[in-house]
Amino acid sequence: MQPELREALVRQYAGGEITWHELRERGFDNYVQVLAGLGEFGLRPPIAPMEGPNLAARERGRAIIREALRARP
Amino acid sequence: MTGPFSLIVTDTSPLFTLVLAGSFDVLLRPGIAVSIPDAVYIEVTRVHGAPGAEQIVEWINAHLEAVRIVPTEIGIDQQRRLEEGRSIRRLGEQAAIETLERFLRSDPAAEALLLFEDSAVGKRRAVVDQRVSLISTGDFLRELETAGMIQSTDHILDLAAAQGRNVERRREANEDSTTRERLREQLHRNRDGD
Repeated sequence: MQPELREALVRQYAGGEITWHELRERGFDNYVQVLAGLGEFGLRPPIAPMEGPNLAARERGRAIIREALRARP
Repeated sequence: MTGPFSLIVTDTSPLFTLVLAGSFDVLLRPGIAVSIPDAVYIEVTRVHGAPGAEQIVEWINAHLEAVRIVPTEIGIDQQRRLEEGRSIRRLGEQAAIETLERFLRSDPAAEALLLFEDSAVGKRRAVVDQRVSLISTGDFLRELETAGMIQSTDHILDLAAAQGRNVERRREANEDSTTRERLREQLHRNRDGD
């Protein structure tokens, strides 16, 4: 893969424009390569904003983790 | 939560992120059983040169009471494809779906939490069953941060990226040295043949 294309894809991923699966389709073999690209360009893995088609299921998931953490001794 | 409950890992990315950041133990902080589909496990441990593989094996063995590798039919297909040199893309996700279906079938009161990579969770609708909830790596870390169990989500993600870069550098250096060694051997053979 051309370095310019690789950088562009990694930046798009960090910005939440494309998914890890799309990176795979474009030639990234594993997620370590993605993390390596992010590290190289001073970026970090994206965190999905709380919106979109799975919002309710994600809110349930966060509540479950919150409750589980609270219940821990 | 009244019935059995499991956190199912749907992809390699949360595992690589946490293991490279040296934060694998955070997966167990909520005290929820963790299920890793066999296809995800195989995919994450077969990356050549990644330190994550050995660490993941050690970590699972140290927490067998809380973590299990789930055998699936997709996993069998994955083995076959690997032997035949065919693509195994998306099999981890399919194995996670199979794992989820088996788990929900096992008990009408069973509930599951699917751990997704962040870029995937925001894009397409993943769940219709009310017994299934979702969490992304970022959501998970943020809840831990809010609970005061980790210092910073961003710090863990930065560590993973920095360590990923180190791993790739080492892998590239090893590949260079292997290539040089092969070239040297080739030159020796040619010279001996003259």
